[in-house]
Amino acid sequence: MNKILLIIQREYLSRVKKKSFIVMTLLTPIIFAAFYGIMIYFSIQGIKGSSNKIAVVSSNNTLTEQLTPTKNTNYVYVKQSLADMKAQLGKTEYDYLLYLPDFPLDAPAGIQLIGKKQAGLNLNTRVADDIEAIIRTQKLKASGIAQEDLDKLRASVEIDTKKIGESGEDEDSSAGASTVIAYVGGVLMFMFILLYGIQVMRGVIEEKTSRIIEVMISSVKPFQLMMGKIVGIALVGLTQFILWIVLTGIISTAVVKVYTGGKDLKETTISKDQASTTSKTTTVQEKEEVKALKEATANSPIGNIQKSLANLDVTKIVILFLFFFLGGYLFYSALYAAIGSAVDSETETQQFMFPMMMPLLLGYSLSLSVVTNDPYGNMAFWLSMIPFTSPIAMMVRLPYGVPDWQLALSMVLLIAGFIGTVWVASRIYRVGILMYGKKTSFKEMIKWFTYKN
Amino acid sequence: MLRVNNIVKQYAAHRALDDVSLQVEQGKIFGLLGPNGAGKTSLIRIITQITAPDSGEVIFNGQRLNSSHISQIGYLPEERGLYKKMEIGDQVLYLAKLKGLSTAEASKRVKYWFEKLNMGSWWNKKVEDLSKGMQQKVQFVATVLHQPELIILDEPFSGFDPVNAEVIKNEILELNKQGATFIFSTHRMESVEELCDNIALIHRSKKILDGSVTDIRNHYRNNTYWVEYNGDFDTDAPSAVFDVLQKNVVESKTTLKVKLKEGQSANQLLALLLPVVNIHRLDEVIPTMNDIFINQVTAKD
Repeated sequence: MNKILLIIQREYLSRVKKKSFIVMTLLTPIIFAAFYGIMIYFSIQGIKGSSNKIAVVSSNNTLTEQLTPTKNTNYVYVKQSLADMKAQLGKTEYDYLLYLPDFPLDAPAGIQLIGKKQAGLNLNTRVADDIEAIIRTQKLKASGIAQEDLDKLRASVEIDTKKIGESGEDEDSSAGASTVIAYVGGVLMFMFILLYGIQVMRGVIEEKTSRIIEVMISSVKPFQLMMGKIVGIALVGLTQFILWIVLTGIISTAVVKVYTGGKDLKETTISKDQASTTSKTTTVQEKEEVKALKEATANSPIGNIQKSLANLDVTKIVILFLFFFLGGYLFYSALYAAIGSAVDSETETQQFMFPMMMPLLLGYSLSLSVVTNDPYGNMAFWLSMIPFTSPIAMMVRLPYGVPDWQLALSMVLLIAGFIGTVWVASRIYRVGILMYGKKTSFKEMIKWFTYKN
Repeated sequence: MLRVNNIVKQYAAHRALDDVSLQVEQGKIFGLLGPNGAGKTSLIRIITQITAPDSGEVIFNGQRLNSSHISQIGYLPEERGLYKKMEIGDQVLYLAKLKGLSTAEASKRVKYWFEKLNMGSWWNKKVEDLSKGMQQKVQFVATVLHQPELIILDEPFSGFDPVNAEVIKNEILELNKQGATFIFSTHRMESVEELCDNIALIHRSKKILDGSVTDIRNHYRNNTYWVEYNGDFDTDAPSAVFDVLQKNVVESKTTLKVKLKEGQSANQLLALLLPVVNIHRLDEVIPTMNDIFINQVTAKD
């Protein structure tokens, strides 16, 4: 037992002390934080960018209802002629110029949306909808319906996705955010298992090619050496993962604080400036715009993630991630150790790598397609039960909610699975590490498996 | 101290060891000889508990070999290596601790050996920065560091220059004097004659010869002598005493290699020669281990 600890210690320290490990561990959270920052930046920019100021030139005499400014499109009626406005376009504050020619209400035609840049489909539809709405309003009024009745008819529809939890209470959830978390969890799990599994294989091959293996095996049992390596590298993975979480947390909070703090300050100064130079109405409008912007930020993917993260019980997800990482890693790394023991050099691993990666890749791609679409279906269930795919599939299913009994069953199966692979691998390993100069096949490995000690 | 009783080891279609028994005496240097692929390494791997025999047993100091003996055995395999990226000092410490030494004890001994073999400045070097011979030295230290009672060396001199080979040879002899028993596997027969007290020859999975080096060499004497003389002696005439195997004449000096016939002795040969020639020398040809090795191995083929 003492020897296993010594091996674990060496495997752990020799990797953690490496420059590449330190660089990767420090750099990744910075990259994560930068990515996070960029996402926030673009979601805010995206909302800002879609808010347009449109000058309306109307030579229409029948349409008396006026277009009212909405969240993203600000209509301003101007007195100038179309030709004047066209000439001024680009120099004025207006992004677009909307021309409403004289048309009968029954057949609106000849409406133009002019801008320096081509108006997007989105904007086009919005403006068309707005015009259709005022035509309808005017027609309704003409048929004798009062304004107040019309107001009663108007309703703003927003869909809140809710999910009934185990306890029967409904919880706020966001399908989008769950999907994002599912993706991130699945991809991370896939990466971690593959990355550290391959490190185990490399370590075994290194011991074999440097021929230290025989010296080692005369001091310790092959099983001790294999398990020491696997556990040592698992600890490296855990160290890295925990450092990433802590560092990402610190950096992200710092970045978000600095960013939002500065933002608020800027907003107030803008409003003040606006208030002193422009008329009262525009100030109100600007304020509304800022409010809308904040709302939009809260409703953006980032806002959603933050909101549903709060509901999703992050601790549970992180703990389960660690469990399934350890389980999946142990499951696969034992197999990788067996492969490493069977070959003489890394180039020879190719023929074994593919069949070994197949279930992992399959689990990965099926989890991210089938499971995210139908997280409660049969396919999702089986993928999250079979140890070959369960670490990834379970991570993907988690944000959508998994019944406790399924979670427990999957965990038990995974533990049974890695005990199985460790057992199989150790039988192949003890023979493989002392075999040189032979091209190994799967058939050969099965033969080794059946050898007596 | 070590008894190997009727060991059989089967690998799929190949029988690596077939009913091999031998005995290594306390404090002796034991040579394990045999051509490539004879089964030497398989036997060593069983003694070092890397593999287990299919049948038969190994008795170490009166006990059946078990894992408590690991710390009393030091093994330098023929195919040996070190962790390339690890510092030498740490590496030897690690290997010593795996043999059961405490950190303090291990580092004390590592320092002692590094000092003794002029390796003091190597502590922080990485293996990849050392020459092959230097690596061998490190490996030798790692093998003997935990003061094992039994030290098994597989081709210990390969890769050493003559100076370092001599250094290692003296260390082996010194350790032997202090009481360590050695099993020594090699193809270099001159070092067997020089170092070994006893040998066993393994060929095609079977032990075909064992005993003390002196006994074996005496056993394989076959009444052959070198004779050197001045003068004329008719060697072509048939003789009841000897057959001439080889004859060289340099100027007036003649050198003969003769095999005496059954029941004849060197005295009879001298009686024939003395009246006729001036004898310079007469000595018996005692077969070298090399001759015996080749003789035995080819005879069985």
